[in-house]
Amino acid sequence: MIISRISAFISDFENLMPLFAGACALLFIIGILMLPLPYEEKQLYPKQINRSSTLDPYDRGGSPFTRATIISQYPQNSPTAGYVTTYLTPLSWFLANTTQHLGTTIVAHPGGILDEILYNTRGLDTVVEPTILFIAFAIGSYLFRRG
Amino acid sequence: MWEEYSIGLLGVLLCGVIAFVALAIEKDDLHRLLLIDLVEIPSLGIVALLATDLAEALILPGLVVGIAELLALSQIYLVKEGLKEQPEGRLHIEVIEYADAPLILSLFLVVYGIILSGFTGGGVAGLGVVFYFMSRGYKEDLSLLEAAAGISWAIWIVSFFVFMFLPQYWLLAVFGAGGGILLKVIAKMSLVGTMWGRSHE
Amino acid sequence: MSSVGGTPLFLLEFGDIVMYFTPYTTSLFILALVFTCIVILSRPENQLDIIFGSDGYYTKETEVEELRFRRFMSIACGLACLGATVTGDVFDFTLFVSLVGITNVGIVAAVRSRHVQNAAFQYGIVALAGTVPLFGGAAIVAATNGTLSMIELSARTMSGVPLIAKALLTLGVMGEGMAPFYAAKAEMFRAPGAPYVIMCSLSSLLIFLRVVEVIITM
Repeated sequence: MIISRISAFISDFENLMPLFAGACALLFIIGILMLPLPYEEKQLYPKQINRSSTLDPYDRGGSPFTRATIISQYPQNSPTAGYVTTYLTPLSWFLANTTQHLGTTIVAHPGGILDEILYNTRGLDTVVEPTILFIAFAIGSYLFRRG
Repeated sequence: MWEEYSIGLLGVLLCGVIAFVALAIEKDDLHRLLLIDLVEIPSLGIVALLATDLAEALILPGLVVGIAELLALSQIYLVKEGLKEQPEGRLHIEVIEYADAPLILSLFLVVYGIILSGFTGGGVAGLGVVFYFMSRGYKEDLSLLEAAAGISWAIWIVSFFVFMFLPQYWLLAVFGAGGGILLKVIAKMSLVGTMWGRSHE
Repeated sequence: MSSVGGTPLFLLEFGDIVMYFTPYTTSLFILALVFTCIVILSRPENQLDIIFGSDGYYTKETEVEELRFRRFMSIACGLACLGATVTGDVFDFTLFVSLVGITNVGIVAAVRSRHVQNAAFQYGIVALAGTVPLFGGAAIVAATNGTLSMIELSARTMSGVPLIAKALLTLGVMGEGMAPFYAAKAEMFRAPGAPYVIMCSLSSLLIFLRVVEVIITM
């Protein structure tokens, strides 16, 4: 019987991983066949590329003590969005003023739009994310200590 | 209607197909673990194709989820395979072990990291702590670091609620989140730096 | 907003992420809440094996430490379910589902048995692979519609969400929700500390029920 053969295959949990990976691969192929997909031009948090800026392409924007405009989903829910502007460490301040290459590293200048999204407008995402890290760490350290 | 987005998606999906087929064929557990890391990359690629600042903010959680689960899985793998061998002893260099230089250097890094604050500062200060632990050998006293990690997590959650429900105190929330993430990253880095070394001796 | 789950009774706003409580999501939320409370309050039993044909029996020893860890994981899993059932943001939903996945790994992995550990590892790999279609699906939704909010998406007259994004989300949830397969195969339902394993099945059920609503609403 074909059904009993299928159930025998599924009953071994070593086989579930290849099955799932195969399903993913199949779905990705279907995805390729369904291309092209339309790209919506009206996006939230649009990105401006300014080639002359030394912070480009990771220019998070905003000048100190002013308020940047942020296109968020529900602006009324985040009345204080836009006050956190990007900041440079003394070293990256020096690099930004002398070279054109500071923008090639993502960690050089935190703050700005990224902090607004991560802490403020989409703060819940960032709460869930360290929770996942926390849980994974708890599993790892529990197993490590038990030995 | 083949815009840039669709062309990019085609490339990423092709990579995904290759990675998933490899994962489906592979039988060895360790290789599966390594391939999983490869499979994560196309998913980040799909997110990156969004090409807005939002994409950058979505990649960070995606990346963290992958790393976190990989951490837990590799520990499960060690336990399941019964691998207990600890790495061999470190090099004994008198200058590092007894002189004051490592202390001064790590103190400098920690202070500089605290001035920087936030994620970057956490990285710098954590590096200082790791360096100190590495040079001085490590004594089993991680409870303080773990408590710091827990407290920083709580500070972060509190500042999140301030952002959401008391937006007029947003500055306090920014400082809270910045300080929380500083502590968290320091604690995480120093734990990662010491936990997998020699212990229980 | 009109959706299959009914009109929202209450909106809880966290910036861009708005949680909505329709009759459907509220009932899932209450179910998750009740089971989380049960996990907090329940006391795991010690398992007795009776030797057949005689009066003899022996008990299986389980460390308190292990049960405490598994209870912690189950509570975390319950909280993740609470979030996953009511969140109104596609990407946030995928993150909560990933959290459910990793807590399920934790529940299974804490058992001190080579066989169960192997099941936990295999499930963990599927859960990790499941995040790929999940995040991919959410990103395609964002790219083709310019929003991640389910309320915005359901308000549109023409659904702009491509079928492939919906399929990816469903497949991702299937990957994360595979825990009962592994738990059952590893005979965990008979293992000591069974109440915590129930959380695996319940969380999988809840995220499946929720993803159906998400897919139809979009």
